[in-house]
Amino acid sequence: MPTSASSAIPKPSSDLIARLTVADAAVNLKALRDIKNQIIGNRTKKLSFIKLGVVPHVAAILSSTSDPNILVQSAAVLGSFTCGVDAGVSAVLDAGAFPRLLRLLAHPDPKVVDAGARSLRMIYQSKLAPKHDFLQQENTKFLLSLLNSQNENVTGLGASIIVHSCETIAEQKALHDGGVLEKLIDLLDGSLSQRDASLESIATIFKNNVEAIARFMQPGREDCLNYIIELLKDRNPKTRLLACVCLIVIRNSSPCYFQDIGIKMKLIHSLLELLDSPDQVGDEAPFVFSTLIAEKEELQKLAFEANAIDKLYNHLQKDQLSPRRFQGMLLAFSHLCSKLESCRSRFLSLQVMNIVIDAIKHESSDIRIAACTCLRSVSRSIKNLSAGYFMNEAVVLPIVRLLHDPCNDVQLAALGAISNIVVEFSTKRSIFIGCGGVKELVRLSKSMDLEIRLNALWALRNLMFLTNIMCKEAIFMELTASLLASLVCDPEPSIQEHAMALVRNLIDGCEDSIEYVFAEDAIVLNTIGQQLQNISTDEIGVQGMYVLCNVASGNEFHKEGVMKQLFPRGDDVTRSFVVKFLQSDNSQLRIAVIWAIINLTLPSSPRALDRVTKLRNAGIVSQIKNMVNDPCLDVKLRVRTVLGQLIAFGDGITL
Amino acid sequence: MSLFWIVIRQFAENEAMATSKKVITREEWEKKLNDVKIRKEDMNKLVMNFLVTEGYVDAAEKFRMESGAEPEIDLATITDRMAVKKAVQCGNVEDAIEKVNDLNPEILDTNPQLFFHLQQQRLIELIRNGKVEEALEFAQEELAPRGEENQSFLEELERTVALLAFEDVSNCPVRDLLDISQRLKTASEVNAAILTSQSHEKDPKLPSLLKMLMWAQDQLDEKAAYPRINDLSTAMLEDPPV
Repeated sequence: MPTSASSAIPKPSSDLIARLTVADAAVNLKALRDIKNQIIGNRTKKLSFIKLGVVPHVAAILSSTSDPNILVQSAAVLGSFTCGVDAGVSAVLDAGAFPRLLRLLAHPDPKVVDAGARSLRMIYQSKLAPKHDFLQQENTKFLLSLLNSQNENVTGLGASIIVHSCETIAEQKALHDGGVLEKLIDLLDGSLSQRDASLESIATIFKNNVEAIARFMQPGREDCLNYIIELLKDRNPKTRLLACVCLIVIRNSSPCYFQDIGIKMKLIHSLLELLDSPDQVGDEAPFVFSTLIAEKEELQKLAFEANAIDKLYNHLQKDQLSPRRFQGMLLAFSHLCSKLESCRSRFLSLQVMNIVIDAIKHESSDIRIAACTCLRSVSRSIKNLSAGYFMNEAVVLPIVRLLHDPCNDVQLAALGAISNIVVEFSTKRSIFIGCGGVKELVRLSKSMDLEIRLNALWALRNLMFLTNIMCKEAIFMELTASLLASLVCDPEPSIQEHAMALVRNLIDGCEDSIEYVFAEDAIVLNTIGQQLQNISTDEIGVQGMYVLCNVASGNEFHKEGVMKQLFPRGDDVTRSFVVKFLQSDNSQLRIAVIWAIINLTLPSSPRALDRVTKLRNAGIVSQIKNMVNDPCLDVKLRVRTVLGQLIAFGDGITL
Repeated sequence: MSLFWIVIRQFAENEAMATSKKVITREEWEKKLNDVKIRKEDMNKLVMNFLVTEGYVDAAEKFRMESGAEPEIDLATITDRMAVKKAVQCGNVEDAIEKVNDLNPEILDTNPQLFFHLQQQRLIELIRNGKVEEALEFAQEELAPRGEENQSFLEELERTVALLAFEDVSNCPVRDLLDISQRLKTASEVNAAILTSQSHEKDPKLPSLLKMLMWAQDQLDEKAAYPRINDLSTAMLEDPPV
C-alpha cells in the first residue's frame, strides 16, 4: 500500500535543494522524480517550488549530466514547471535551459528526445516563449526537420512552434515557400495528434493570407479540402473544433470560397454541438463560433435559424460553467445580437438579460467586459431602447459602478454599453443622472487615456441626444463650460470632433439651451470659432459648423454671436474659413455651412440685411451662387434655399 | 458494418414495392450474406485492435506472430498502461500516478479532471484504510486547492470527505465511493487518457460494430421477418417466427 505515513506530503524545503545539488547522481535522480510527481497537475506546488528557486538547480543538472535517465527526469520537471504557469516559463528561460532542451532533440535515445520535445512544446504554449524567426532560412529548415521526424512528439513540437511564432504574412510566406505547408498537409494523414497539430498549424499559415489560400484552393487540391470538411464529423471533438477553425480561417480571409450554404450550416451546427464538450474544447467552441459570425449578417441569420440563441441559453442555464466558457458564450451572444433585431428580441424574450446583469458584477474582468459587450449589442436597437429594457436601476447601477473598475478595458467596455443605453426617448434618463452616471462620465472625460476620454465623451454626447432641458441643465452643471471648452481644443482631433458634437446636441432643440455656449463669456462658442479657423479633419469642421448652425437658429443676439465667429476680425471679412469650407470636396462640410447660412439669412429676422451684406463682402454669396449645380443633391437643394432667401434682400439669382 | 448496410439497402429497394412485412427464409438470407465479401486482414485488424485496446498484451503478441497483423502501437506501451490500470484497481493510486507520470508527464498536467479523480481515489483509499488524520491532511493539502480552481471538484471533494463523518459507512449516503466500481471507473478513465495520449482511440472498434448490428436489425425488424442474431455470444441465426 502506498498510503503509508511516509507518503504524507513533504513541504518544499532546502533539503530538496540539497538533494539536487549533491554530487550523487542517484540522489539527484530520486529528488527529480519526487519533484516531478509533486508538481504535475498541482499549480500551487509549481508556484511554491518556483519561488523556492528550484528551477535553476534542475536546469544545472540538465546541462551537466549525460545520464539519459537524469536527462529525461530533469526535462520532464522543467516541462511541468512551464505547463500553464507563466512564472515557470520565465524561470526556465531565465535559467538558460531552453537551448539545452533543444539539444536533447538530437539525442540518440528516443526517450530523451521525447522528454525534450514535450518540454519544449509546453514552453511554446506560452506567450513568453522565444519567437522562432522563420525569415532566416536555416530556421525554416530546422522546422522542416522537426516535421519530418518519425517521433510524434517532435512533429507536435514543430506544429507548436508554427502556432506560436508565425504571425506576419512574410512569415507565413516563408513557411509556405519552404515547403512547410505541403508537409503539414501530409501530416493530416498521420496519427490523431499529428492530425490535430497539423490542422492548427495550417490555420495559422492561412490566417489572413489570401495568397496561400488561393494556391491551396487551386483545382486539383479538392481532396485535401474535402478531407478537412469530412473532419467536421470526426469522433474526436478536438479534431472537429480544429477543422472548424481551419475552415473559418479560409472563409474569413477569402470569402469567395464556401459560398454554398451547406458548408456554412455544417460549421454552425458543428460548433453549436461542440458546446456540449465538457473540456477545453467546449470552452473554446463559443470563441470559434464568434469568429465565424462576427460582422457577418448572413451567418448570424443562419445561426439564428439554427436556434443558436436558444442553444447558447440552455448552456448558460447549467451550473458550474468555467469562466472561460461563460465569457465565450457572452461574446457569442454579443456577436449574434450585433446586427439582427430578430436575434435581439429572442435574446430578450429568453430573459438572458438577467444573466448578463449578474455577469456585469462577476469577479472576472474578462466576463465583465463580455457582459458589457453583450449589453452594447442588444441595446443597439431603437425598438428595445424605446421599450425601456435597459434604462432601469437593475442595469444602470451595476454598469455605472464599472466606470470605477480598476481595469481600463472594463471601463471602456462599460462606456461602450452606456453610450447605447443612454440613447433613449423617455424621461428615464434621470435614472442615469440620479445614480451619479454623469459625474462618472465627466470624470472619465478628463482621463489621460485617449480611448477612455473619447468613449466617455461619446456617451455624454449620446446622453445629450434629444434630451429635455432639465437633463441638459443637470449634465451641463456637471460638465461646466470651461471643461467643454478645453475638450473642444483637446490635442486629439477625435476628441475635438466629439466635443463639438456634444455641444451640438446640447444646444439642439430649444432656444434656451443655446445660452449654454454663451456662458462664462461665451467661452465654448469662442473656442469652437477659434478651432474652426484651423481644422485638422473635415469631421471637426462638420460638427463645428452644425454648432454654429444651431446657435444661428436662435435669436438676433445668438445670430450675431455666430457672425463674430465667422468674421473674428470685425469688418475685415477677407480670408474667412467659410469660403474654404464651401470649396471643400467634402459634401458633409458644404451642407453644414449652407445650413448655418440659411439660419443667418432668414428674411424675417431684423438684422438679416446687415449679415447678408457682410457675407456678400466676404465673397461668400458669390461662392454660394457658384454652387447652384453642386454635385451633391442635398447641397444643391439647400443652396437654392439660400438663394431664394437672398432674393428678399434684392440680391436674386442674377449672376 | 458494410454487410448489414448492403442487405438493408437491397431490402429497402424490394420493400418500396411491397406493403406488408416481407418474410425472408434462412436460405435466401444466407445466400445474401454469402455475397458479401469480408477480408481476413480486416478481421485480424479488428481483433488486434480489441486486444490492444483492452490491454491483452500477451495475447496480442501471440496473435501478431500467428496472424501477422501488426498492432497500431508499440506493444510495450500496453504493459505500462495495464500496470497503471491494475495499480488503480488494487487501490495503489500513488503508485499509479507515478507510473502515468513516467509514461508521459503531460497526461496529468493537462487533464485536471483526471488528476483530480486520481487524487480523490487516493483520498478514498486513505479513508478506507482508516487513516483519518492522513486523509484530512491530504484533502487539505492536495485536494482543497483543486477545489478552489473548480467548483465541481469542490462538490466532489465535499462528497468524499463526507465519508469521514460516518462511523458505519454502510449507512452513509456516499458509500458508493468506497465501492469497487469507483476504482474501476477511475481506472478506466486513466486507461482512456493514456490511450488518447498515444493517439489511439480509447474504445475498441468491435463493440461499436456489434452495436451497429443490433441497431440495423432493429431497423430491419420494422420491414421484414428474417433470421436474426439474438445472442451475440453465439452469433446464431435464429429463424424468423412465421
